[in-house]
Amino acid sequence: MIPEGEKSYVLFPLGERRFALPAETVTELARPDSVQTFPHRTPLLTGVLVRRGRIVPVCDVAQVLVGPAAPPRKFYLIANCKIGARQELTAVPVTGECELVSAANVPLKGNEPPYVSATLSIGDETVAVVALEKLICAETTA
Amino acid sequence: MRPLKQLRPEVKAAREDVIVFAVGGYKLAIAAGAVKEIRGMEGLHPFTLGGISTQITKLKYTLERNGSTYFVVDAAQHFQLPASNVSRVMVLRNMPTGVLVDSTDRIMEISTLHGLPPVFTHEERGWYRGLAVVNGQVVPIVNHSAFLNRPELEIVRAGLERVRGVVNA
Repeated sequence: MIPEGEKSYVLFPLGERRFALPAETVTELARPDSVQTFPHRTPLLTGVLVRRGRIVPVCDVAQVLVGPAAPPRKFYLIANCKIGARQELTAVPVTGECELVSAANVPLKGNEPPYVSATLSIGDETVAVVALEKLICAETTA
Repeated sequence: MRPLKQLRPEVKAAREDVIVFAVGGYKLAIAAGAVKEIRGMEGLHPFTLGGISTQITKLKYTLERNGSTYFVVDAAQHFQLPASNVSRVMVLRNMPTGVLVDSTDRIMEISTLHGLPPVFTHEERGWYRGLAVVNGQVVPIVNHSAFLNRPELEIVRAGLERVRGVVNA
């Protein structure tokens, strides 16, 4: 049972920090797999994964969320996000294991980046909930 | 968590022969029916028409074949890759275009063509018809008419007309 006012989130690490995605958008945490690359010009995209016959683009959001110094990514969090009018799977490289939590939103202060849709208070830690589609669309259409 | 099958990807059943080729370390493929001939580098003439060469920098050579002129494009430059070790020219069918590539590999049959995921939003949307998966490996299927697209061909033709006009004057 999830207490009233709380929602489920998947917390994912990027180096020293953790971020969250709404659990209902996450489809799986994939083990390291070979990213396949081909020539393209869209920022943030590092290639594609093939998962069960599906082609899933890999979007390295760490570049935006923690900068170029993020440690090597170990897993792929595969999430459903709306790109244009379509729901698409997108793989987000993360640096460690993920955690499923239930938490209530903390009101936004107003100075967060536009891709932060909410914040969570988990122990002493404040975790930003990432609106993946906003982040990807802002960066890939730049 | 939602199962993957709830999302329907854009996939076309498309049994088709493609020629695999290499550019700058990448493997790509082109519809076999779009290629008239694969040849070596002999017979290429550097393309040096000043105004056009600066507008379409990927256009490197011309090739005369059976009374037709083909405009030969450097595929590495088309895909905005560093210069590569070209060794083959793919002469395209039904268009006056040749494509310089590092090597050609084999003809293979693909059975499905996956749409390029919409998150790819830049020039690559014009470069590829889609992606094929062959033995677990993703191979982009190029849009052969993008190597020299219609506006670029217009520029080339207009430039050549200008030159011929000056010569005949």
